[in-house]
Amino acid sequence: MKFTQSLKMAFIALRGNKMRSFLTMLGIIIGVLAVTVLISVVQGATGVITGQIESLGSNLLQVRFTGAEPTYLTKSDLKALEQEPYIKGVTGVISKNADVKAGDKSGSYGIEGVTSIYQSITGQVLERGRFICDVDDEIHNHAAVVGANVATDLFGTKDCLGNKLNINGYDFTVVGLLEASQTMLANKDDTIIIPLTTSQRLFADKEFSSLYISASSPADVDAAQTATDDFLTREIGANDDYDKYRIINQNAILDVMNQVMGVMEILLSGIAAISLLVGGIGIMNIMLVSVTERTREIGIRKAIGAQKSDILSQFLIEAVVLSVAGGAIGIALSFLALQVIGAAMGIGMTVSAGTVALALGFSAFVGVVFGIYPANKAAKLNPIEALRYE
Amino acid sequence: MIELKGIIKTYRMGATEVRALNGIDLAVEDGEFIAVTGASGSGKSTLMNIIGCLDLADEGEYRLGGRLIGDYSERELAEIRNREIGFVFQQFNLLPRLSAYENVELPLIYQGLSLPERKRRVRNALERVGLFDRMSHRPSELSGGQQQRVAIARALSTYPSLILADEPTGNLDSKSGKEIMNILLELNADGKGIVLITHDSAIAAAAKRRIHMTDGKIDSDSAGGGS
Repeated sequence: MKFTQSLKMAFIALRGNKMRSFLTMLGIIIGVLAVTVLISVVQGATGVITGQIESLGSNLLQVRFTGAEPTYLTKSDLKALEQEPYIKGVTGVISKNADVKAGDKSGSYGIEGVTSIYQSITGQVLERGRFICDVDDEIHNHAAVVGANVATDLFGTKDCLGNKLNINGYDFTVVGLLEASQTMLANKDDTIIIPLTTSQRLFADKEFSSLYISASSPADVDAAQTATDDFLTREIGANDDYDKYRIINQNAILDVMNQVMGVMEILLSGIAAISLLVGGIGIMNIMLVSVTERTREIGIRKAIGAQKSDILSQFLIEAVVLSVAGGAIGIALSFLALQVIGAAMGIGMTVSAGTVALALGFSAFVGVVFGIYPANKAAKLNPIEALRYE
Repeated sequence: MIELKGIIKTYRMGATEVRALNGIDLAVEDGEFIAVTGASGSGKSTLMNIIGCLDLADEGEYRLGGRLIGDYSERELAEIRNREIGFVFQQFNLLPRLSAYENVELPLIYQGLSLPERKRRVRNALERVGLFDRMSHRPSELSGGQQQRVAIARALSTYPSLILADEPTGNLDSKSGKEIMNILLELNADGKGIVLITHDSAIAAAAKRRIHMTDGKIDSDSAGGGS
């Protein structure tokens, strides 16, 4: 019997028991829906987080000083570090929190004292005005570059160049506005950036809170990290158990993230496999019932000349149609579900073609695996006994 | 042409063995109309199963058209059932979800015929039994007599040389039963061999040759040889 004929027979049989066919498919529908939604959410989240980490600058290292003792690194130390291999630029940052006032508004914000190269090393983009320049640093200028939230919170407008704000009792003039950050990790939306020398005076502290280091290229980040580690060990002593500083490498974060997401995907695939297994058992169960109910039909078919293979393929195709239709409905529903979830999370999420292929392929596989036993049972029926079956 | 020699068939019913056929010798020429009668349990259904290639004999030789059926594989038996034998059952045995057309088409699909050829044959067969205008009806929408005519059309569609009818009028009122018998007689007049199994001697009277069975043996044959 030709495949199209078997397909037609399968549809006639499934249509005859709509409710039962639907309930049988439901196992597969839910399994596929769960799998595609979970995998797509993980993939979407991975993409977003990876994008955020990468937007920091993929050749960026950050050194955070964690020791209780001051490190007393000077600008000339930083210059020396800059001469190390694989390192392109180094900038020291003093970070503090301070109360800031502007007119009748006030709030607590992060203050960062930086030099001009900070902008290029960390990849900050200005929306208006200018960044801190070398002259600001030389003359201890009270100039400030503000993050997007600072501007809207304190001034109520992004048109804030030339406005005054007061940090710890000292007046500053806004000379620049940063673009609203698209990232969560290098987010400076709630930060006020001022010249390094000014911050040293303001906070009466010369110690760098952290360093930003850019490697010569993204491929050299790990080598640059080693060079930095060696340099800092020479300058400020051994860094046992990270008691003095911690070097944060974007690639390392990405690697860990990818590992975590990889484990997540394996876990989810495991859940998927289990739910599809349960769906498959449902199909097998209903196909066995169907074979028993249709014993007489099988006997008639055999009497008028159906071969074993005809009966086998008829029931097998029925099982595969059930499982693949369930898979297709599950995928369609997961598109809808992802639209809703994506809108709620503010992340664009779609089902990748690979996921669709995987889900459909797996459903077909489940249909074959769990359909073969009932189909074989049908094919092996003795025609005389089957015809006598009431 | 059917040739049976020393056919023995034994069934196991739990611990006891039942000898359904106990040495059947029978020869039927092409185009004969033969009625097999006998009480229930006399072995006439078993005989039909063996002639119809639904079952194989334990002992003895069965030749259909000169070929020794006993050696045939399951696959070859299915092919003979499909191409050379048409079955008509007491229960009609139509598939309830398929229309009359689709029921008649079924053996042709198993034969692997093309769509236009199937269409031609199904229409011819349904026309032959006078149900051309009912082809899209399902069995449940047809009367018993009409259902049995569909079953005959299904048996005819493959152009078999032999039609096996097992109590074809058993579930029908006498008027429908007469119609079915008339169709079978017409088919016989056209040259088809017919083996009719019945317990009703009035029905059997229509056949040119009548065989009576008792306890797995032929005890009378109107063609002679029996008592």
